[in-house]
Amino acid sequence: MDKASHLSVILDLSPVQWHLFGQSTNPFPLSLSSFLSQLLAFLNAHTACKDENTLAVFGAFPGKSVLLFSSTTGISEGDLGPADANTYRPFKMLDATIMKSILEELEELSGAQEESPLGLVGALTKALCYINRTSSAASSAPAARSEETNLPDPRILIISVSPDQPSAYIPIMNSIFSAQKLKVTIDVCKLFGSDSVFLQQASHLTGGSYIFLERPDALLQYLTMSFLPPPALRQLLSVPTQDKVDFRAACFCHKNIVDVGFVCSVCLSIFCQPVPVCSTCRTKFPIKTLQRLNASKPPAPTANRAAIPATSLPRSTSIGSGTPRLTPLSNGNGTVHPPSQNGTPR
Amino acid sequence: MPAAPPEATQDSTPHALLAFLHSQSQTTLTRLYQRPSSCLSMFRLLGPLERQLIMNLLWLDSAVPAQTMSAWVTQEGRKMYDNALVSLSKLHILSSSPVKLALNTTFKSSLRHAIVGGGTSGSFGVPAEPDRKHPPPSIETLDAYALERWETILHYMVSSGSGRFPARPSQGVLLLLQRSGLMTNMHGSALQITSSGFQFLLHTPHAQLWELLLQYLHMAEERQMDLVEVLSFLFMLSTMELGRDYSVEHLSGTQTAMLEDLRDYGIIWQRKASSRRFNPTRLATTLTSSAPPLPTAGNSSGSHQAQGFIVLETNYRLYAYTDNPLQTAVLNLFVTLKSRFPNLVVGAITRESVKKALANGITANQIISYLTTHAHPQMRKNKPLLPVTVQDQIRLWELEKNRMQSREGYLYTEFASQADYEYVLEYAKKLDVVLWENALRRCFFGSVEGHSNIRGFIERRSAGNV
Repeated sequence: MDKASHLSVILDLSPVQWHLFGQSTNPFPLSLSSFLSQLLAFLNAHTACKDENTLAVFGAFPGKSVLLFSSTTGISEGDLGPADANTYRPFKMLDATIMKSILEELEELSGAQEESPLGLVGALTKALCYINRTSSAASSAPAARSEETNLPDPRILIISVSPDQPSAYIPIMNSIFSAQKLKVTIDVCKLFGSDSVFLQQASHLTGGSYIFLERPDALLQYLTMSFLPPPALRQLLSVPTQDKVDFRAACFCHKNIVDVGFVCSVCLSIFCQPVPVCSTCRTKFPIKTLQRLNASKPPAPTANRAAIPATSLPRSTSIGSGTPRLTPLSNGNGTVHPPSQNGTPR
Repeated sequence: MPAAPPEATQDSTPHALLAFLHSQSQTTLTRLYQRPSSCLSMFRLLGPLERQLIMNLLWLDSAVPAQTMSAWVTQEGRKMYDNALVSLSKLHILSSSPVKLALNTTFKSSLRHAIVGGGTSGSFGVPAEPDRKHPPPSIETLDAYALERWETILHYMVSSGSGRFPARPSQGVLLLLQRSGLMTNMHGSALQITSSGFQFLLHTPHAQLWELLLQYLHMAEERQMDLVEVLSFLFMLSTMELGRDYSVEHLSGTQTAMLEDLRDYGIIWQRKASSRRFNPTRLATTLTSSAPPLPTAGNSSGSHQAQGFIVLETNYRLYAYTDNPLQTAVLNLFVTLKSRFPNLVVGAITRESVKKALANGITANQIISYLTTHAHPQMRKNKPLLPVTVQDQIRLWELEKNRMQSREGYLYTEFASQADYEYVLEYAKKLDVVLWENALRRCFFGSVEGHSNIRGFIERRSAGNV
């Protein structure tokens, strides 16, 4: 079990959300700079655990996503300044590179760009591609030793502060399926804002853990205890997992998160209301069915569920409770109970 | 291919250095923990669970009740968790209180410094000022140097029995080899390789290096060198960057003295002995990491050697794609070599060759694991990696050697009567010391441990009879 592990971190760097988060009206405000210093300590700790541990950091900015750091690419000497006897050099390289690239990217953001949706999906996809590339390169290269053929235990940690974008439902689900196929664990750390339906599902489906931080000021302790141990170690030291997962999906027609949806029996597309023709596969549904569905549409969703014929099935399942979830998103969060440590990271 | 060793065996073999550190006093260890680089390197030598426990406690300012921490441990992890706690408190990383868990304050602050940087300890090595006249050596130069030094040592060992003597390593190295029991001078002046020396040759370079360094540490204790200085210098080397000049100005007296020894082992490179700067080689910078092959595996001299070169067939023929005399010599320990080509050595594993190796103290498992680790990439497609027939046969040959067991003891004969014989035999059986008996001839064979008792018993009995 003592083998190298790979960690890809996806940082949600939406300026608007971080501004809101840092405002002193919050019970526990956290500024971007103090977040970054705690994050860097965590990343250093990951590298410290094993010399062969690899790391890649992706930033999700409004409208774009960028690879901020990866331990496989070389760094030019000039960026680092003189060597220092008091710091372990790889740590210094890591910290300097990440800070520099984040600053550059934030400088480049123009006012108009700040409004565009967050490039979370792009970052997630890039992280998956990175893992796929490094692991397949390792296995095809003749130099690889049998035990090193795969990038062992790859995982992705998403640190999110922004709310869900319903439009990103389909790409996120597709990324989840690729992650399952690559055997990548997705961990989610939600710092600010309401619970994210999609990210909950992402961590649930890939066996990772989703944590909503109740005390963001103890961020480093949360990160260390929950996200530092590689999957193999989590069998010995348990990490918090969700006991309730919000399984709601977004409809394909209006990108709304729906409690009760209608599913095309041919291609499994989800719609928020009965449609005569499936927009994805062009299947025509019988008029009779449509009429019956329209008649039995909410406000009687529970009765509707039983009456729906094979043509369309409700996708509203909430495995935690077994009843359709009609309540707003915010109170159905995955509850986790990390032990309340009395110390706080410096 | 043999499956990866099960987790349990991996975890039960902690790093060789840790056993040495366990035996050190708290003051020694605390002095060692004053340096961030030592803490970082030691941290890396620990097991994964121990590392995670340290990390969990690192950023806490107050102690945690032991119950809180153990609430995180799953049912299966309970035993390993307890072991980890014991190991950590033996190293005095955890302060030994059964109720509260807290890190040793020195260790905590040093590891924090290591991770976030800062401090003034200079424990990661003071880089030398750039020198216009002598630019730092390239990484290839360093690798070649380390490889040459290391192979000189191994080659000297492997060919010591054959009567040919290639380049001799320095006197310090010879002394170390002798002290560690890898070589011995039985016949006057010439050093002879011992059976543990043969076993040593089949280890991975990483294990070999640590074995020698451990011996060096033991010797350092006797040479009145400050152990903390020695250890922290080794740990400092392991955190240094390959291909960078470091200055000797800030080293202590002990450490300056070590430079010469380490140069002989190929761990550091210096332009000349009086140079004011030194470069760590790959042997040094990989001290605390495990996976990447050491330069000995041939990182610099063509990649084909890095990942194995041996093809073994079911008919016991062995093809080794190598031109390296050391590897050929090591193979010669247990293979009958038939022919040599510029890049290929052909041989066969025979009963005689394996018996010779077994007589030298090499075990069948060591031969098999050597063949496994150095198998050619083409072989890695096979499942299992080595032909089962060959593996089994090597093991059978080893068993053959163990057909006879010798035990020291005493033969008791010429009992006056059958009753006498049975009486003594019964007593000896109660002591569980009888190895063999023959009632017809009225004799039995007892082990050495039981002799004084049996003798006393017989004497008491004959005295009583008289």
